[in-house]
Amino acid sequence: MTQDNPKPETLAAKIGVYICHCGGNISDHVDVETVRRRVEKMPGVAVARTNMFMCSDPGQEMIAEDLKSGTVDRVVVASCAPSLHEKTFRSAIQRAGANPFIYEHANIREQVSCVHHGQAATDKATVLVAAAAAKAGQLKPLTPIRVPALRHATVIGAGAAGLSAARDLADSGIPVTLIEKSSFLGGQLARLDRIAPTGDLAADLVRQLVESVLNHRDITVLTDAEVVGFEGYIGNFKLTVRRGQPAVEPATEPRYIPFSGMQPAGTGADKPGDLTVETGAIVLATGFRSYRPRQGEYGFGDFSPVITLPDLIRKMAERHVPGNMLTIDGRQVRAVAMIHCVGSRQIPGIHPEDENGHLNEYCSRVCCTATLNAADRIRQAYPGTRVYELYRDIRTYGRDQEELYEQAGRNGVVFLRFEAENAPEVLPADPGDGFALKVKVTDTLTFGETLEVPADLVVLATGMEPNDVSDLVEMMKLPVGTDRFLLEVHPKLRPVEMPVAGIFVAGTCQAPFDVGEACNAAGAAAVKAAALLGAGQVELDPFVAEVDVDRCRGTGACIEACLNPGALSLVEMQIDGQTVQRARVTPALCLGCGACVAVCPENAIDVCGMTLRQYEAMVDAIVEN
Amino acid sequence: MTTATRSRGNKILVLATESCAYPGADSVGQAHSSYPANVYILRVKAPVLFPDRFYIDCFDKGIAGIVVMSCGEECPYDGAYHALAKRLDRVYQEMKARDIDIRRLRLTAICTVCNRAFLNEVNQMNAVVGELNN
Repeated sequence: MTQDNPKPETLAAKIGVYICHCGGNISDHVDVETVRRRVEKMPGVAVARTNMFMCSDPGQEMIAEDLKSGTVDRVVVASCAPSLHEKTFRSAIQRAGANPFIYEHANIREQVSCVHHGQAATDKATVLVAAAAAKAGQLKPLTPIRVPALRHATVIGAGAAGLSAARDLADSGIPVTLIEKSSFLGGQLARLDRIAPTGDLAADLVRQLVESVLNHRDITVLTDAEVVGFEGYIGNFKLTVRRGQPAVEPATEPRYIPFSGMQPAGTGADKPGDLTVETGAIVLATGFRSYRPRQGEYGFGDFSPVITLPDLIRKMAERHVPGNMLTIDGRQVRAVAMIHCVGSRQIPGIHPEDENGHLNEYCSRVCCTATLNAADRIRQAYPGTRVYELYRDIRTYGRDQEELYEQAGRNGVVFLRFEAENAPEVLPADPGDGFALKVKVTDTLTFGETLEVPADLVVLATGMEPNDVSDLVEMMKLPVGTDRFLLEVHPKLRPVEMPVAGIFVAGTCQAPFDVGEACNAAGAAAVKAAALLGAGQVELDPFVAEVDVDRCRGTGACIEACLNPGALSLVEMQIDGQTVQRARVTPALCLGCGACVAVCPENAIDVCGMTLRQYEAMVDAIVEN
Repeated sequence: MTTATRSRGNKILVLATESCAYPGADSVGQAHSSYPANVYILRVKAPVLFPDRFYIDCFDKGIAGIVVMSCGEECPYDGAYHALAKRLDRVYQEMKARDIDIRRLRLTAICTVCNRAFLNEVNQMNAVVGELNN
C-alpha cells in the first residue's frame, strides 16, 4: 500500500462530526440520531452532534465552540451537497481560528436522503460519514498558495465581448491590453445593422464601446496583433504579441468589409515586430465566425441569388434603395425565401461532415431571431416583397424575442416547416414564370404537402462557429468541447473560468450567444479577473501536488505525466553531500489533477487535501462499515 | 494468478469528477430518482490520480464494482481522459490475470445533467454485481 504523502500529523486527530437534519429533508429519511450514535464510537471521532440546520448560525457556532475549546481539530459535516455549503463550513472553521482545510464533507442529502429511504438510507449515511471521518483523520492544515499578481489584464479579441471586458476591467482600475487580430474593432457586431429585438443600431453600440475603450487611459489597444507566445501562470503571464501582420482570412471567407459600425483603430502594420506583454490575467474573447455553406448547399455558390443572412444584412444596410420592393444587387426582389438552421443542428447521417470531419450538432440559438428580425424589416420597409420562412423549429428564447415571431405572422410572413431528412431544394425557376429560383419544400404544417415557393432571393440563416484559435488552445492548454467552442470549468458553477487559473472566457468563443449575452459574460469575466488581481496577489486553493523529497529519486516520471508543462520540473539539490535531481512543483501552475501521483514509482508525490492514502482510507471505511 | 481477496460484498464504488459526474449525481438526487443504496460516490478532481494498483486493491478489499465517471472528452484537464483510458486498459489486463471479472470495472463519461446516464450506469453495474455474486 502507499504511504502518506505529505506525512500525517503525529498526534491522533480529534474529529468532530456534525450531522444535519436539514429541516427534515435528511432526517425524514435518515435516522440521524442512529447515525450519530454509530459514528461517535468510530476511531478518532471525539464528538458527534446533530442540528436541525447545521448551516444556520447556531449550527456553525456549535462547530466553532468545539474547535475553540480544543475538543476537536478536524471537522466533518454531514449535510447537503458540498457545492452548497462546503465554503460555508470552511469559513466557519476559519472564523473559529482554525485552518479551513481540516474539513471534509459527507453528502447525505442529495446522495442519500433524496434517493434512499428507511434503513438503507440510515446505513448508507453511516458509511459515508465513516468514510469522511477516515479522510478527515488524515487531513493536515494547508496554506492557500499566494502569488504576487500583476495588476494588469489582457483581453484577446476586440468584438463586443472583448471591448466590454476591457472597458469593465479598466473601470475597475485594472490596466488592460486589448489585442485584436484584425485592423478593426467591433468584431462581428460591426457587421450587423439593427439588433433584435430592441432595434438598436449595431453601429451605435460599437461606437459607444469603441470610444469608451479608445478614450480610456488604462487601455492599450493593439490591432493587427496576434499572440504567438505564452508562458507563466496566474498573476504572472508573459505573452509575446506579434504586430504588423493583418489577419488573413481563408479564401472561402467573405472579405472582412468594414461598413457603418466598423471602427478603424490605427494599425500595427506600421510598427511591425514582437512585443512582450506581462499580465496577471487573460480574458479570451476570440469570438465566432458565421458558418459558410459548402458549394451547392441549398444552391449556395451555384445560384448568385442564394446568399447568407449576414450577406443580406450587410447588403440591406449598405445600399438602401427606397421603394415598394426590396432591391438587392440592383435586382428587385418580389419574393424571398429564408431557410433556417443552415450549418446548425446538423445530424449525423443526414448532413455531411465538413472537410475536417466536423458536424455542427448544436443549435446556434440566435439565427431564428435574427432571421425573423430581417423578415419583419423587409415586410415593413418593402411591403411589395413577399417573405417565406422555411424552418425546422423556431427558437426565440430571450426577452421580447417571441414578439418578433408573432410580429412576423402579423406582417404576412409565410411559414413553412420542414423535417431535417427532407430538406428544401433550391432549383432554377421554371422558364417563363419570371422568378430567379424556386424552393421545393415538403411542408409539415400542411400535412406533408409539397410546395414550390418562387423566389428572387434565397437567404440562408447560417449558424455560428467558433473562430479557429487552435494556436491559443495549444499554447495555453485550453480545453475545447466536441463542438469546438472553448470549454469553461463548469457551465453553471464557474461559467467564465478556464481550468488554467487566471484565464477567463467571454462571449461567443464559448458558445453561441447574442450580443447581450456576450456582454453579460464579458462583464462576469471582467469582475472575476478584477477581483483576482485587485489585491496585488492571488490566493489559490492549496490542492496541488507536493513532492516528498525524502522519497523522490528524480525519475522524472511525474514530469512526463504532467498535463500542464512547467508545473513540475527536475531541479538539482544537495542531499547528504551529494548533488541530486528531485522533482519540484510550481504550485501556481499545478492543476491538481494528480496525473503525476499515479505514475510515481516511489509514491513520492501526492495532491494536498486529496492524497491517495486518504482515498484508500475512505475505501477501507466503505468496505468495513 | 488469483489473489486471496476478502469476501466480496455488493458495494459499488463510483469515482466521480468534481466538475462533471459528482454534480451529476447530485442532480439525480435533486430529481429524487432512486438508485441502489450500495452505490458509494467519491468526489475526485480527476480519476487520472489513481494508479493501476488502486483499482486492484479496491477489489482485493472487497469492493464489488467500480464505475469511473469521468468528464470524458470534455475533461477540463487536457490529456487526462486519454491517460486514464490507457491506464484502465492495463487494469483490465491485470484483472484478467487475477481472475477478476472485467465487468466489475467501467469507465464512462457523465456530465452535470446526465441523470439518465448516471442511473443506467449504476443500475447496470448493480446488475453485474448481482449476477457475479450469485
